[in-house]
Amino acid sequence: MSEYSVELKGIGQIYKNLLKEDTVALQDINLKIEAGEFISIIGPSGCGKSTLLRIIGNLDKPASGTIDYRDGANQQMGFVFQDSVLLPWKNVRQNAEFPLVIQKKRTPENEEKLDGLLELAGLTEFRDALPRELSGGMKQRVSIVRALSYDAPLMLMDEPFGALDALTRDHLNEELLKIWSKTQKTIIFVTHSIEEAVFLSDRVVVMSARPGQIKEIVSIDMPRPRDNETRNQPAFTEYSKYLRGLIG
Amino acid sequence: MKTNHKLRKVLGGIGEYVLSIGTFVAIWWIYVAVKKPPAYILPSPSKVWTSLVKLFASGEVYPHLWTTTYEVILGFIIGALLGIALGYAFSKVRFLHDMFMPYLIFMQTAPKIALVPLFIVWFGIGLVSKVILIISMVLFPVQAGMMLGLDSIPEDVGNLMKILKATKWQIFSKVEMEYSLPALFSGLKIGIVQAVIGAIVAEWMSGKQGLGYILTYASSTYNTAMLLAGIVVTILLGIFTYECINILERRFLSWHISQQV
Repeated sequence: MSEYSVELKGIGQIYKNLLKEDTVALQDINLKIEAGEFISIIGPSGCGKSTLLRIIGNLDKPASGTIDYRDGANQQMGFVFQDSVLLPWKNVRQNAEFPLVIQKKRTPENEEKLDGLLELAGLTEFRDALPRELSGGMKQRVSIVRALSYDAPLMLMDEPFGALDALTRDHLNEELLKIWSKTQKTIIFVTHSIEEAVFLSDRVVVMSARPGQIKEIVSIDMPRPRDNETRNQPAFTEYSKYLRGLIG
Repeated sequence: MKTNHKLRKVLGGIGEYVLSIGTFVAIWWIYVAVKKPPAYILPSPSKVWTSLVKLFASGEVYPHLWTTTYEVILGFIIGALLGIALGYAFSKVRFLHDMFMPYLIFMQTAPKIALVPLFIVWFGIGLVSKVILIISMVLFPVQAGMMLGLDSIPEDVGNLMKILKATKWQIFSKVEMEYSLPALFSGLKIGIVQAVIGAIVAEWMSGKQGLGYILTYASSTYNTAMLLAGIVVTILLGIFTYECINILERRFLSWHISQQV
């Protein structure tokens, strides 16, 4: 058995309502995520996939269950939000560097790594640009580089490309895979796009709604590196079809 | 090429000012020349100008100008700091907001001039009651701006700081303050204008110093030329202090969309 990155044990989440019955947002989620794995979570809207990610990211407390991180309670994580949440007064370089400033890790070595990441994301020539001068796709790249800048081993991504057009999204998917293979991160990726999940993932977690439960975990056995050709292969279509059937 | 463009814009701006003030003065002049109102009702622009020059040439105006400027700056700084602190506290602690906001609105809607006699009774006719009036006028717009700024921070920014395990001080100094600046500056700009008004009003009623005192003195002696000259000085002080805030805003908000040409 390979080394795990995060293990979820019996995670449940309940929202109390005064007038109606309580809403069970998540029920008994058990999931072991391997180190270096790319795992996607999909499901109909309202199935609690974002809630689950927020719980993993310690942004919300679960009503029940525990989470084991490989590095314990002090687990460093990177989080990429649906909206890029760049700080509007900082330029691209400063935004990407922001976590290093906050965590007081501005060593020459980290700065150099950061420049490498900006290069990898194709942002080098925009390093002095302000967020409002960038397109949605560009902003999201900066946001990803920012999440990578402090070298957290675990990356949580909450529909990061959800607001982008299909072409930009496909393109960024390929870039994300490149970055992932170079940096060896564990990535937990929430999306509502089946194709995106198939294209990116080692495993896809399919959730059902009300109560949010894991319906099935599907391993995507397609060769890597994956590129534009991958989307044309019969296996890709098969997986997509199968997952679509599961979500119903 | 770029500086040339900028220079032309600045000159154009000055040109507009000169044109609009020039038109106003010309109409005034013609009216006085044709209707010949008594000088204590409406003196000609030249008389006001002479009076204005005399105020400065004789050095008479400087102590008054200094007194008012000092009050304005002191009251504005204290009021602004208090406004920022209160705005932050109110936006963070709901309880404080619910508890004290009604009083602030009450204070804000009460006509300030009505409070001056009360302040004089409480704090005397010296600097203190004047500065307190100015503080009371600056506080509200600044506090409202600060609260608006803090409340408009996207929720995920807070989540980002949580993920980064930022300290409270880091969140305040690196994110909340910066995010609030645009709204805060609109509050500060209203505040500085209010501060000058507050100083003048307070000086009408108390003390023997300040531009407000010049105004009441000129009025009570029917020296209307001096009264108008005094008003001009007041306006100049208002424009000057407002521009100071404007310059600060341009310096701090160069990134903001409102500052783009």
